Amino acid sequence: MTRLRSGKRVIGGHFAALLLCVAFASASHAGDLFSSSGRLDLHGAHALRNDSVEEDPSLDARIKLDAAGAAWRFHAWLEGGWDGSVKRPAAGHAGFKNYDEVYQSNTPYLEFKELYVSFSTQALDLRAGIQRFAWGRIDEYPSNDLLNPWDYAKFPRQRLEDRKIGVPSLSASVTRGDWTMETVWIPVFVPYRLSRPDERWSGNSAATLRQIPDSEIRVREPDLPARTLENSAIGLRLKHLGDREWTVNLFHGYDPRPVFRSTALSIIPAGGAIEIDPGYVPDFHRITTIGVDAAFVTGSLSLRLEASYVFNRYLNVGHEFWGYPASPGPGTYPLNTIEQKHDAVDYGIGADYRLFEDGQLTMQAQQTVTRGNVDLLYERKIETILWANLKASFLNQKIETNVSAAWNPEHGDHMLKTDVWWVFSDAWKAGAAYAAFTGPVQSYFGRYSRNDQIEAELRYSW
Amino acid sequence: MNSMQVRNELPLQKKSAIKRPGTSSSAAVLLRVLCVSVVIGAFSSPAFAMSGRDIFEKVHEVSVKGLDHEITMTMVLFDKGGGKRTRTLTSYSKNASPEAYKALAVFRTPPDLKNVGFLVHARTFSDRDLWAYFPEFKRVRRIANNSQDDSFFGSDLSYDDFTGPANLDDFKFALEREEVVDGKPCYVVEVTPRTRRKYTKYLAWVAKDLWIQLRIEYYQDKDIYRSGVFKDVRIIDNIPTPFKSEMENRKTSHRTELTIDSVKYHTQFSDDLFTQRSLERAGK
Repeated sequence: MTRLRSGKRVIGGHFAALLLCVAFASASHAGDLFSSSGRLDLHGAHALRNDSVEEDPSLDARIKLDAAGAAWRFHAWLEGGWDGSVKRPAAGHAGFKNYDEVYQSNTPYLEFKELYVSFSTQALDLRAGIQRFAWGRIDEYPSNDLLNPWDYAKFPRQRLEDRKIGVPSLSASVTRGDWTMETVWIPVFVPYRLSRPDERWSGNSAATLRQIPDSEIRVREPDLPARTLENSAIGLRLKHLGDREWTVNLFHGYDPRPVFRSTALSIIPAGGAIEIDPGYVPDFHRITTIGVDAAFVTGSLSLRLEASYVFNRYLNVGHEFWGYPASPGPGTYPLNTIEQKHDAVDYGIGADYRLFEDGQLTMQAQQTVTRGNVDLLYERKIETILWANLKASFLNQKIETNVSAAWNPEHGDHMLKTDVWWVFSDAWKAGAAYAAFTGPVQSYFGRYSRNDQIEAELRYSW
Repeated sequence: MNSMQVRNELPLQKKSAIKRPGTSSSAAVLLRVLCVSVVIGAFSSPAFAMSGRDIFEKVHEVSVKGLDHEITMTMVLFDKGGGKRTRTLTSYSKNASPEAYKALAVFRTPPDLKNVGFLVHARTFSDRDLWAYFPEFKRVRRIANNSQDDSFFGSDLSYDDFTGPANLDDFKFALEREEVVDGKPCYVVEVTPRTRRKYTKYLAWVAKDLWIQLRIEYYQDKDIYRSGVFKDVRIIDNIPTPFKSEMENRKTSHRTELTIDSVKYHTQFSDDLFTQRSLERAGK
């Protein structure tokens, strides 16, 4: 009931904000004070493997509204549509995504990615509302970028910024010369979001259970941490600009990375089908990280560095230690404790290099060193991700191409993503993409190894 | 010998003794052209007494005077097949003496580029720090200074065209001849970069009375690969400003028309406008 009430409050707030947006949109052509833009995406994917979960076409829309005065600014980014990568009944579906559930419906959905007002003076910026932040310097997996939890429903087909869930927050930054101090307070805990096991981008964590014929895996929503002051999150950032830019970052709050705690596996015949509770629920733990990042140009390279030390991060042990029976039949099976607490060090370096006109190569190397005994973890003591991206345009940017490849040498898993767009006009563009994932079933990229696909997309922008 | 046929190579020592800011080849295309101040009557020497360097020092001198500006412009990109794309952007610039200049360009349209920004801090006219901001990534990115001749967001203008004047000492100048363009007498100056660039040289038609370029042709060896014209020159606050420009890539037949929608000079912007914070806020 508590969750329902808070969900209704969120929905009510969102509805009021939606009306506000409509009001702004209707006035958006009144002059320079207001502006609006948006886009519509029709997207289809064809799975290349027979054992993959199929995907329906998706239709997504986003609209951005801005109103700016001398010191005040209002910004709204509303997103919505039908996400074909998920398959679930819409029963009980509230329309707007909320901050109470890990497993949420995307068919259809509405979500404010950003909705805030800001006030600025010469040296001060204050902002309140639903915000997304971009801390750190590294692309794709910045270790200091912890203020926004991710929506893993389409991971890893979404870009970093599109994965982020906007969080209700207050932020303030003070700039004096080359120094900027930024503070963020997130009073309301917002959980990450996950795909259900029968959805396309759920990964392979329940692969064994999916092999039981006529079965349905039903995951349980977790009990969220109480929404108290003690459970709020805070981020501090001190940035120095100059020839060599550097930043010191501090975060204290709930870890945005997913981790699970075990309950009990239950396999219960119900009518002609079998209901399976996989025996794990998402868990949430507070972490503290302190980190630094830097950026500078040397010769033809634009370099970015980032490092952080994470205190008290919880990680799951390898699936083979969860306690699943080898041949599960009807019944209830207690599972082992599957979480371990570790400190970790993350560090990485990225470089941008202009390969040719309108062609930029970005290379990145990142490592995570997990402290303590890691014998039961799937992750090794040192985990590495090598990542490269080539973004190139041709014919005066009529053709846009993007190729990304990532490799985790410790487990031999890798990923390749490539897309090509043809720009018809300022409003219309169409693209095709290919994505492939290979590696062991528990590895970072290998968990999506059933998800090789080709895609087509048509985009209208205004 | 006709003075128009004389390749006027006056000694450079008197100019090179002074470390003067210069005008890069393609910078002449936009910022330098847009910023040029008129010094009508200030130059009384006989034309044939000028060298190419003299002419470009004059061009540069008036360019720097026009660095303080806010210009809103529309770029229309035409491809070979008749396709058309439009970009609008606002360019802010500031004479940042004793440093060189600061500049900020922010796209207003199309939707894909809205609020994409580009910030320049020029410590000297040949030493620049560059940053770009892409709202979809929410991150300001340092850019290495080696893409100066690349196409600026798909147009036939280059990044250098939007980053202000460069150092004259980075180029060699030779007065080729005199010609009339759109009824205006012009010096035709051959400008050759001393360092490796995308072009091997360019020819600039500099209006004698305005000290702005009315026509430009970029060469790769013997072939013209890019050419431009500057029209509808109006005097705004004593600064001659071509309200219409056109640049064409001769190899691809792609061309870009640039129209100034509004211009303000002598803006005297605060340094706060030329910061990463301002870049993230689209100059607002």
